[in-house]
Amino acid sequence: MRLRHAGAAAGLVVLLAGCAVLPQMPPPVPTDALPTVRSTPTISPGGGQLSPDGFDAVRRMAVRIRNVGCGEISTGSGFALTPTTLVTNKHVVQDSSQLQVSTYDGHDVAVTAASTAGLADLALVRTAQNLPSAPELAAADPVRGDPVTVVGYPLGGELTVTNGHVIGTTTDPLNSNLGQVLVTDAKVEPGSSGSAALNSDGKVIGVVYAKNDAGQSFLVPVSTLRAMLGDESGFQPAPTCAG
Amino acid sequence: MATPTPILAVVTEGPWQPGQPTHRHASADPEADAPATPVWLLDTTVPVPPPEPFDENPPPVRTYRTAVVALSVVLGLVLVGGGVLTGYLLRVNAAWQQHSQEWQALATQHGADLAQAQFDLESTRTELQGVRDQLATAQARITQLADEKAQLGDESAAQQQLTDYQQRVSHAAGQVATALSSCIDGQQQLITLLGNQSAWDPAQLATFKQQVNDYCAGARAANASLQAELAK
Repeated sequence: MRLRHAGAAAGLVVLLAGCAVLPQMPPPVPTDALPTVRSTPTISPGGGQLSPDGFDAVRRMAVRIRNVGCGEISTGSGFALTPTTLVTNKHVVQDSSQLQVSTYDGHDVAVTAASTAGLADLALVRTAQNLPSAPELAAADPVRGDPVTVVGYPLGGELTVTNGHVIGTTTDPLNSNLGQVLVTDAKVEPGSSGSAALNSDGKVIGVVYAKNDAGQSFLVPVSTLRAMLGDESGFQPAPTCAG
Repeated sequence: MATPTPILAVVTEGPWQPGQPTHRHASADPEADAPATPVWLLDTTVPVPPPEPFDENPPPVRTYRTAVVALSVVLGLVLVGGGVLTGYLLRVNAAWQQHSQEWQALATQHGADLAQAQFDLESTRTELQGVRDQLATAQARITQLADEKAQLGDESAAQQQLTDYQQRVSHAAGQVATALSSCIDGQQQLITLLGNQSAWDPAQLATFKQQVNDYCAGARAANASLQAELAK
């Protein structure tokens, strides 16, 4: 009897095991086998890098400055610091009877005031209307080898973007700035004065103010700009040609 | 003395072993009860073991018929199970074939959708590239127009400065001409007065002479201003 029971149990086990290895019925075929989309791609304007007209922030922040003096006209460049304040060189705005500012797309922006720094070739110009875009200032000065992008109006012509690298630092050959200035191989021309020099992140690392015969450009470093901006008393109303 | 009773015994091959039955009881199977070759054992000295008590529940004996029946049952069960198994496998096979066809149809549909999506994507990319080109052209044109406007502004400012300059020169030249005219008129009157000097008070004549000199000095100053403007 025990043998029979054991045999029956073994047979049951074998039967169940056999059922387990039998092929099962297929599951129903889904009506749609598309994979789950984790995220839908969206079109962003590049974090403010693009405007509705497609110009990037580098170009939108640049302004052209016309210095209408007493018997002469000169042009320079500048860039927005705040919606109604732009930065340029002192020698761009001084000895003027009128300053005229235009943006990358040709819009004219009225100037309300201009002030120049005493210890650096820097100037601040206040505008009546908002400027299209304002960049950020870099936290620190660049080092040798860092890439540089200069955006401005060389020779008073079209808005131009040039690239180069930081060569090093030197004392100001024009003695218009205290401390060290930056030297780069980015190509600039007369009229580029006041152009913003940007790093690879699009942040301002300096302000173009001079060049030499070797094709090197000189920048007022952003550290000097920060120091000047931190001292309101360092700026005085820009001298005019009318005296 | 009683007559010895012959004892029908079945002699098994080999010596008798304790516990081995010395005889068999009759059973339903005549063949099983078929006696082996019987022998008379007259030797009463042969020890005959006492008969074992009759066991009413003898142990089961698996007979041939039982085996056949059992095998038949097993075979039947196997055949039935095989049939069931075969039917099940056929059903599973058909279901999997249907499953495969449905998947193939789904894959074909998705393949067609994918091909269409790739075509649409490529078309969109081409269109996007065209829009980008147009945007680049428009941007270049905007930059160009802004530059043209700036150049016109420069020229306008220069023209305004030139106009201002010419106005200043004209104004200075007018002042020079007026001053020279006054100077000349005064000098002519002074010459006339000096021709009849006795008829005039010397003090008044000196005053008039001073006025004429002032006119001429103003003329010289205006001329110097004009020359200065022209020198710019």
